[in-house]
Amino acid sequence: MAASPDSRTSPGRLVGALAKGLVGLVFIAAALFPLAWLVIAGFKSKTEVVASPFQFFPEVWLWSNYVEILTDPTFLRTLAWTLFGAILFTLLSLTVNSLAAYVFARLEFPLKRALWVVVITTLFVPGMTILLTSFIVVTKLSMLDTLAVLVIPGAATAGSIFFIRQYYLSIPASLEEAAMLDGCGRIRIFAYLFLPLSKPPFVVMGIAAFLAYWNAYVWPILTITSPEQFVLQQYLATFRSERGTEMGMLMAGSALAAAPVILLFLMFQRQIIGNIKMAGLK
Amino acid sequence: MTGIRIRAPRSGPGRGGKRSLRDAKVAYALLLPAVALLGIFIIWPAVYAAFLSFQDWSFYSDPEFVGLRNYQNVLADGAFWAAIGRGFVFVLLTVPPMLVLAFLFASLVVSVSRRFADVLKVSIYIPTIISGVITSIVFAIIYNYSGGVLNWVLARFGVEPIAWLGDPAWALLAIAIPAVWLGMGLTSLIMIAAMVDVPQEFYEAAAMEGANWWQKTRFITIPQMKNVLLYLLITGIVAAIQQFELPLVMTGGGPLDSTMLPNLFIFNHFRFDMNAGYSIAAALLLFVVLGTVSAVVFRFVNSEKLVD
Repeated sequence: MAASPDSRTSPGRLVGALAKGLVGLVFIAAALFPLAWLVIAGFKSKTEVVASPFQFFPEVWLWSNYVEILTDPTFLRTLAWTLFGAILFTLLSLTVNSLAAYVFARLEFPLKRALWVVVITTLFVPGMTILLTSFIVVTKLSMLDTLAVLVIPGAATAGSIFFIRQYYLSIPASLEEAAMLDGCGRIRIFAYLFLPLSKPPFVVMGIAAFLAYWNAYVWPILTITSPEQFVLQQYLATFRSERGTEMGMLMAGSALAAAPVILLFLMFQRQIIGNIKMAGLK
Repeated sequence: MTGIRIRAPRSGPGRGGKRSLRDAKVAYALLLPAVALLGIFIIWPAVYAAFLSFQDWSFYSDPEFVGLRNYQNVLADGAFWAAIGRGFVFVLLTVPPMLVLAFLFASLVVSVSRRFADVLKVSIYIPTIISGVITSIVFAIIYNYSGGVLNWVLARFGVEPIAWLGDPAWALLAIAIPAVWLGMGLTSLIMIAAMVDVPQEFYEAAAMEGANWWQKTRFITIPQMKNVLLYLLITGIVAAIQQFELPLVMTGGGPLDSTMLPNLFIFNHFRFDMNAGYSIAAALLLFVVLGTVSAVVFRFVNSEKLVD
């Protein structure tokens, strides 16, 4: 890092360090304030959230919003349903994409290049151009208003296949050569050799898939119409437009909806942040 | 990322042939799920969209070929061009501030202790994982006219309250701020990764010549990071023009269409317009606009001699 070795203890240096610390704190505050605000507003009473005159902290810290939303059967069901869908989606996505990644990294077969080009091309199709026609496809497949319409269409992604393949290409071939001489087939090699080594790319791509499902809003509002099938973001947006006066509860619900992904990120922040280097292209 | 492609070991021409034949079968079987999904849900819809853009078609009738009429209708529609223009204003409101802030942030991160740097990186990245809906909900509260924290803070400085989301003059800016908030994390971390890679010797040499921070930044850091900055500029523009979840939830495009960004314009046509061909033609034209802008930016920045 860019620390110059000269005069570490001079007063100028100290002022510089203080200024840096201060600027750093401003950035941290700007990044985290909206989320803190969400949590604080969750403790306010119904009328207090956007009350005039404005009050920064609640008059009395009320737990009732959190209690109420956590005992609301609709919220709980939506939360559980979204979690279930997100886990299913993540597993499906990792399975499908890692199999394809393995094939493109290791196997030789006719039309390999052509298929690779087709897969990569899908990266450049903008979502909006195919939103309507994808909707027609899922309608024709009678997938509307089912879990399948949320879990299946987005499971395969070229980005994930590409990312996992890059990782598989770096696994030394000597391991599998030995296994192959012992008579292991390709599928066994994938299951017993590659899968156990796949944790790093699976963490990064698995979290990306989980987040994509958890945060999805546009596709669900097009394809899911019955309230008992709603996903979390849809529930929150509907709550906002239909029960707009119960602000405290909306805030508490939003804070609780954001909490799982923040925890997930904090648990794996080292891997996620470490992997962003790979996005930097040179 | 340096991978070596490995071929299956072969023990003889005859067995090798058999092996590769079996490999091909396994390969197709394992690829089938991914290729089928991409084919059904991306490639086919893309082909179908291109086809429909030349048809007059609403959900309950047979498509009728109309040649370029949908495209002509879109190109003649003032609302489409207004949305594109608004998209570019939105780019100006979001991309330059985000790049400058991320650059300053990255400069800070590479110059502080490892520990503080880690805290900074984690903090700046957290907004990235928050959904557009939740972001919209919390910013709408912050912007609230009479009881929002923003107007309260401004009132301390004697500023009259502003209807951030209700006033056409302010609404687009009010949406730009959460867009920057959401986008800062990834932009900053990519910049940090690039900044760390600038060779230290350059700075040491510059320090011996007595260069100050600005001179080092102007003559070493920026030229050295040129490729990454160009990448972030283009992806930033592309992402900003395509933003539509925030206006969809926060304003629905209003007031008076002041936040009707291109993709929201297209999305609303999808939902409410009978002729699907029109919306698809608009989406494809937006794609063309984006490609053109990216190419122009790439040409322009690349032709500038940033590296001597």
